[in-house]
Amino acid sequence: MDSNKKYWKGLEELNKTPEFVEKNKHEFAEPIPIEEVLSGAGLSSKTPRRDFLKALGFGVGAVTLAACQKVPVHKSIPYLIKPEEVTPGVANYYSSTFEGSAILVKTREGRPIKVEGNPNDLLSKGGLSAHAQASVLDLYDGGRVKDPMLNGSDAGWAQVDTFVKNELAAIKGAGKGIRLISSTVHSPSTLAVIADFVAAYPTAKHINYDAVSYTGIIQANQNSFGKAVLPHYNFDKADVIVSFGADFLGTWISGEEFTRQYVQNRNNKSLESKKMSRHIQFETGMSLTGTNADVRIPVKPSEEGLALINLYNAISGTSLPGSKPLANATVDKAIMIAAKELQAAKGKALVVAGSNDVATQILVNAINSMLGSYGTTIDLDNPSHQYAGNDAELVEFINEAKRGEVGAVFFMDANPAYNFYANADLKEALKKVRLKVTFADHADETSELCNVLAPNHHYLESWGDDNAVEGYYTIMQPTINPVYNTRQAEQSLLLWSDSPVKDYYTYVRNNWDKNLLAKGGLAGQSGWETLLQNGFIKVADAAAGTYTFNQDLNAVAQTILNQSSKLAEGNKMELQIYQTVAMRDGKRANNPWLQELPDPVSKVTWDNFAAMAPADIKKLGYNQGDLVKVEANGYSINLPVLLQPGQAQGTVSVAVGYGRSKGGAVVEGGIGQNAFPFHSFRNGTFQTSSPATITALGDTYLLAQTQTHHSYEGRNVIREASFKEYVKNPSVNSGNEGEHKKYSLWDEYERPAYNWVMAIDLNACTGCGACVVACNAENNIPVVGKLEVSRRREMHWIRIDRYYSFNEEGKEITEEREIDKLENFDNVSVVHQPMLCQHCDHAPCETVCPVLATVHSAEGLNHMAYNRCIGTRYCANNCPFKVRRFNWFNYWNDSRFDNYLNNEHTQLVLNPDVTTRFRGVMEKCSMCIQRIQAGKLHAKMEKRPLKDGEVKVACQQTCSANAIIFGNVNDPESEVAKALKSERTYYVLEELNVQPGIGYQVKVRNTSSELQA
Amino acid sequence: MASHNESIIREPLITGKDITYAKITEDILSPVENKPNKAWWIGFTVASLGALLWVFAVSYTFWYGIGAWGLNKTVGWAWDITGFVWWVGIGHAGTLISAVLLLFRQNWRNSINRSAEAMTIFAVICAATYIVAHMGRPWLAYFSLPLPNQYGSLWVNFNSPLVWDVFAISTYFSVSLVFWYTGLLPDIATIRDRAKGLRRRIYSIMSFGWSGSVKTWQRFETVSLILAGISTPLVLSVHTIVSMDFATSLEPGWHTTIFPPYFVAGAIFSGFAMVQTLLLVTRKVLGLENYITMFHIESMNKIILLTGSIVGVAYLTEFFIAYYSGSEYEQYTFLNRFIGPYWWAGCMMYGCNVLMTQLMWFKKVRTNIPIAWALSIIVNIGMWFERFVIIVVSLHRDYIPSSWAMFYPSWIDVSVFIGSIGVFFTLFLLFIRVLPSIAMAEVKLLLKSASEQAKKKLIDEGHVEESQAEFYKESLTKFDSVEIADYEKV
Repeated sequence: MDSNKKYWKGLEELNKTPEFVEKNKHEFAEPIPIEEVLSGAGLSSKTPRRDFLKALGFGVGAVTLAACQKVPVHKSIPYLIKPEEVTPGVANYYSSTFEGSAILVKTREGRPIKVEGNPNDLLSKGGLSAHAQASVLDLYDGGRVKDPMLNGSDAGWAQVDTFVKNELAAIKGAGKGIRLISSTVHSPSTLAVIADFVAAYPTAKHINYDAVSYTGIIQANQNSFGKAVLPHYNFDKADVIVSFGADFLGTWISGEEFTRQYVQNRNNKSLESKKMSRHIQFETGMSLTGTNADVRIPVKPSEEGLALINLYNAISGTSLPGSKPLANATVDKAIMIAAKELQAAKGKALVVAGSNDVATQILVNAINSMLGSYGTTIDLDNPSHQYAGNDAELVEFINEAKRGEVGAVFFMDANPAYNFYANADLKEALKKVRLKVTFADHADETSELCNVLAPNHHYLESWGDDNAVEGYYTIMQPTINPVYNTRQAEQSLLLWSDSPVKDYYTYVRNNWDKNLLAKGGLAGQSGWETLLQNGFIKVADAAAGTYTFNQDLNAVAQTILNQSSKLAEGNKMELQIYQTVAMRDGKRANNPWLQELPDPVSKVTWDNFAAMAPADIKKLGYNQGDLVKVEANGYSINLPVLLQPGQAQGTVSVAVGYGRSKGGAVVEGGIGQNAFPFHSFRNGTFQTSSPATITALGDTYLLAQTQTHHSYEGRNVIREASFKEYVKNPSVNSGNEGEHKKYSLWDEYERPAYNWVMAIDLNACTGCGACVVACNAENNIPVVGKLEVSRRREMHWIRIDRYYSFNEEGKEITEEREIDKLENFDNVSVVHQPMLCQHCDHAPCETVCPVLATVHSAEGLNHMAYNRCIGTRYCANNCPFKVRRFNWFNYWNDSRFDNYLNNEHTQLVLNPDVTTRFRGVMEKCSMCIQRIQAGKLHAKMEKRPLKDGEVKVACQQTCSANAIIFGNVNDPESEVAKALKSERTYYVLEELNVQPGIGYQVKVRNTSSELQA
Repeated sequence: MASHNESIIREPLITGKDITYAKITEDILSPVENKPNKAWWIGFTVASLGALLWVFAVSYTFWYGIGAWGLNKTVGWAWDITGFVWWVGIGHAGTLISAVLLLFRQNWRNSINRSAEAMTIFAVICAATYIVAHMGRPWLAYFSLPLPNQYGSLWVNFNSPLVWDVFAISTYFSVSLVFWYTGLLPDIATIRDRAKGLRRRIYSIMSFGWSGSVKTWQRFETVSLILAGISTPLVLSVHTIVSMDFATSLEPGWHTTIFPPYFVAGAIFSGFAMVQTLLLVTRKVLGLENYITMFHIESMNKIILLTGSIVGVAYLTEFFIAYYSGSEYEQYTFLNRFIGPYWWAGCMMYGCNVLMTQLMWFKKVRTNIPIAWALSIIVNIGMWFERFVIIVVSLHRDYIPSSWAMFYPSWIDVSVFIGSIGVFFTLFLLFIRVLPSIAMAEVKLLLKSASEQAKKKLIDEGHVEESQAEFYKESLTKFDSVEIADYEKV
C-alpha cells in the first residue's frame, strides 16, 4: 500500500504560498550578492585589520590542519569470511592446460600470478615456452574487451544473445551458410559444443584456420598414407636429424616438446654415455633451430626443393625426372653427405621440412619412408592434434561469402583480418555476410569488421580441456573469477544453439563423465577431482605402425621444380616469412613481456626487420638499420635491414606477428610491419616464400637490440669442443686439465647449511628465452620499452648471450677485427650462453659498495638490500659479467612506462613475494631467494631438511631442455653437485678468482671434418 | 728574507716602477673597492647563466632519475665521474702552490697562491656536487657517512674506495678552506681598514679582529706553516684515493697499480693549466701585470711541462704493462683506445696531454701569452678526455663481449657539465669582486728584495758585477711588463 505521508519543512511549504513557490524555484531562496561583491566596492574596499587577521588565522589554521593529514594509508581489507583454501601469503596451485600442455597456475589471494609447467606433462615435462609464461599477463591486459559489443558499442549479454539468436534464426530460415572459423580446436568439449551447434544449425560448418598453417604436412600424409594427420615426431629417437627450414626447437608444431626430446641426445647425460645426435639444418634465415645445428647450410627457398630431390635421389639411388645437381656446390656436397649419414642411421633418422607445400612434404614422406622413420622417429598412429588447419577451406569460405552464400560467420580465436594474406578479399567478402560474430578477447582487426564482439574468457578464467596429442587429455580449470564482463565462447555457442545444458562447466563435466574419464581409468566425483589435481589423463599409446611410401613421385618432383623455378625467376631476391620465437603469429603481440623478449637470434626487441646476408648488404651498399621497401606479391612494407650472418645470400627473411593495427595499447603504439600478406596461396596451401624486390628508401630506423657485439673475441668465456675431441678427452677445452694453485686475498667463510649454486649446460641450452620471461614474471622485472632498450637499459635479470663465430678454411674466427675482413658469412656457428648474476664467492660488487647494500649470505648468495642502496652504480661497473641492472627511472610510477608496472590492471600480476624497486636502486638476479626461503620454511615446518630439487628457480623450472640446474652444492648427492663434477664444467672468467657460483659446461658440436659448419 | 738583498741573477717577482706598499694595496684592491667594469659584468652574466643551466639540469636529474643521462647497463659512469675527477684534479694546484711551494720557500708562489687556492675550493665544490648528483638516490647521500644509526650495527663499507673518497674529499675541502681563509686574514684586515660603513663592519667581522701586531703576525706565520704541513700530504692523498676508485676495481684499464702517482701528476698538471687559464685573463683584465709576471707564467709552464711528461711516461708504462701482463682483456682495453669506436677520444687524450705539452720545451712557447693560454685550455680538454677514456672507453668494452655498448651523452649530461663550469666561474668572479685576488701581505714581503725596482736600484747604485747585471738584463727581455728601454741608459 502506498504511503501518502508527507513531510514539510515549514508552514509555507505545507500551504504552498505563492511567495514560497516563487522562491523555491531557485537553488537559493534569496539571491547571493556575488555580483555586487565582485564588481563595485566589494573588491576594492579595504579589508579591515580584524577581517584580515580572521582570514589569516583561518587560512593558516586550515592549511595546518590539512597538512596534518597523514601520508595516505592504503588499508588492505582482510577476508571477512576467509575462503577455506586461501591463506594470505601462501600460494595455491591449480592444474590447468595451455595449448595442450598440462600446467600449474600459481595463485596468490585469488590472483593467478604465474604459470608453471606441470612436471608430469607429457609434452615438455614441466618446461614451458616464453608464450606460456607470458600468457598470465594477458589475463590482466587492460586492452581486453571489457563488455560485449553490438555494432561497435557496448551492449549487455542479453541484448547480444537476443540479437544473435534472432539473426541466426533468420539465416537458418533463409538457408544461408553459417561458418565457424577458428584456429585449430583440439579441445574435446569445444569440439562437442561445435558439433552441437552444427546440429542445431545444419548449414553451419566448422573451419580450422591457422595463421601459420601445417596443411601441407596433413595433406601430404593423406596423400602418402591415407591419414590426414599431423604426425607425432620423436626427435629423441633420432640419431641423425636433417631439417629443411623446420624450426622444430622454436616455432614448428611443438617446440617445447621437441626441445626436450632433442636435448636428450645432446645433454650431459647423453655425452657421458658417449652419445650425441647429429643435426644438419638447411635453411634460409637463421632460425633458433639453425643456431643449434651441428651443421647449418644456408639455402635459398628456390634451392630447397631441388636439394630435397637430390637427397631423395642420393638415398634411393634413383633419379627423379628433372633432377639436376644444385648450382650451389656447398649445398650439393652437404646433401650428399647428409644422405650418407641418414642412410647409415636408418631407423634412427629423421628428415623434417618446414614447408607448407604438399608436394614438398610428400617428398619428405618418401625420404622418411626409405629411412625407416615411420614407427620410430615418426608416429602416425598417435598423431598430434595441435594443428589441423585447412587452408583451402578458408579460401573457399571467402569465395562462398563473395557469392553471398554465407549468412553468418563466427570467429573463434581467429583473426584473419590481420593474418589472412588476401586481406582485401576478406573484407570484401565479409561485407556480404549478414551476421559476423567474433569471440576475440581484444578489439582486434577482425572485430572491426564484425557486428558482434562476444569477448571470450582468458583461458585462466575458463573451464575446458585440450587434446594436443592422441590419447593425452588435459583439463583446464578457472583460477580466478572473470576479470571483465566476458563470457566463454563455448558458453555463447551453447546458448545460441539452445543447448539443454546452459552452462559450460556442466557441459565439460558431462563430456568427461560420459566420454573421457573412463579412458584414464577414472570415474565419478572422485575421478573428476583426481583429474583436476593431476591435470590430465593419458591413454596408452597405440602401437606406432610402420608405413611405406609407394606413390609415384614424378608429378611431385615436377611440381616442386616448377615452384622452385618460379621463385628464382627474374633474378630477384627471395623472400621467406617466418615466425620469431618471441612473437610467433602475433596473437600475443599486446604482451609487453614478449615484445621486450629479445629474439633469440637477432636479439632485436619490439620490431621485425628485413634480415639479409652480410654479403648482400655489402653488395647493395646498405647498413644495418637502413629502411628498405620489401615488395612481393603486390604487397610492400618498409622495414629496417638487419645484418644476419648465416642468411642465405640472395634472400631476405621477414617475421610475421608484427604490425598489428588493433588489439591493445601496446600494439597500437605501432610495432613493426605486418608480413602476413606476403603469404601466397599455391597448390592449395599458404606458402611462405616468394620472389621480392628490395629498394632502399634512404632513411634509417632505430632497431633496439639487447646485444650489439656478436663475436666473443676468442675469449674463453665461451668454451667449445667437437664431439670427436670430447670422446677422446672429456675435459677437452674446459680448462680442467692439470692442477693449478689457487690464492686468495680473502678469508674463507663457512657455508654451514647450504651453498646455492647453479650448473648451466651450454649443450642443452637452445637459447629460446623462455627463462627470461619466467624470470620477468617471478621477479616483477620492469618492461622499459623500445627506446630504453635501444639505450641498453633493459632490466632482464637473465639474458641469453648469443655469439657468432665464423669458419674460414677450417679456422675459427671470433675476433671483430678478423670478421671485418671476412667476405663469406655463411659458415657461421652460434652459441647461446645464459648469463645472470654469478653469485661470486669473491664478489667484486660487494667490496666496492660504499654502503654495504650488496653483501654475501652464509648460503653463498649475493644479496641486494634495495633499501640501503644509494645508487652509485659502482657495483655494476665492477661486475665483470655486467649482470647488474639499475633502475634508471621509476618504472612503476612513471607515465612513460604505462604498459606494465605502472598500469593498475597489469600490476595485479606482480608477485607479492618480491618487492618492486624504486628508481636509483640497483637490482639483479637473486636466485629466486623468495623461493629458497619458502622452501626452507616449508621444510622447517615439516621438521625435515630441505630435499634436493624441492626449490626450483624460475628460469630452471621453465626450461624444457633442463639446461639449468640449481641446488645446494654442500650436498654431494644433489643434482647440481653431480652436474658440476662433469669434466666439461668451467667457470666464466674464473681466472679473475671471483669464484662464480655458476658453472657452465662446454658446448660440444657434433661436427665432421667433411662438413664444416 | 727582506733584510738582505736578493741575488741579482734571480728574475724579479714584481715589476714596475715606483711600486710602494700603498700602490700594491691600491692596485690589488681596485676591483674590490670599485664598481665592476663591463668585462666583469659580461663574464658574470655568462657564468651565472651557466650556473642556472646547472641548477636546471641537476633538478631535472633529481626529478626524473639518472635515466635522464646517457648511461646504460654497461657504462654506469660517464660524464658524471669524468667531471668529478676532472674537477678534483683541477683543485690540486691550489694546495700544491700554497703548501708545497711554501715549504720549499718558492717565493714566486706569493702572487698566485690566493687565486689558485680559491680555484681549488670552487673546483672541489663542483666535484662534490657531482658526487651527490650521480647517486641514484641522492636524498640518501648521508648513508655514505659513518653516522650512528638505528639500523642495528649498520655501518659503511670501509673496504669501498667510495667511502675513502668521502673522507679524502671532505678533508681536502675543509683543510683547503681553512688554509685559504687564514691567508686571507691580513688582507681582509687591510680592506677593513680602508672601508667605511657596512662594508667595514662586514670585513671587520671577517677579519677575526686582526690587529697587525707582531704577535698576530708571528702566530699567523706559525699557523700557515702548520697548515702547510697538514696540507702537503693531502696533495698526494686526495688524488691517490680518487685513483683508487679505479685502481682497486677489476675493470681492465682501471685495475692498475700505477694509478696513484699517475693521477697525482695528472691532477697537478691540470690544476696548473687551470691556474694558467684563469690568471692570464685576470692579470690582463685587472691590470695585475706587475705582480703576475712573465716569470710566473713561465714557471707554471715549466711545471705543466714536467707533470705533462710524467703523465706521458705513465701512459707509456700503462701500455707496456698491458702488453707485458699477457692478459687479453687488459691488452684489448688499451688497443681499443686507438682502434675501437672511441679512437678519437684516445687521440684527444694522448694528443692534448702529451704531444701538445711537449711544445713547452721551447722558451718562445713558454713565454708567449696567447700560446700559453691556448695550451692551458688544450691541457684541460686533454685531461677531461683522459678521464673519459679511462672511465667510458674502459667500461664500454670490458670482459663479456655481449655487453659491449656505446655511450652517448644526453643533453642533460652536457648541461650538467657546462653548468658546472658556469658554477665555477660564477664563484670565481664573485671572489675577485669581494676579496683580493693576490695575497697583498705576501706580495709586500717581496717588494724590498725581489722586485724589479729594488734590483734596478742595486744596479744603479753599482753594487752589482757587470756580467751579472748583463745576465739579469738579458733575462728581463721576456717580460712584457718591463720597460727594457730603462736599462739601455745604464
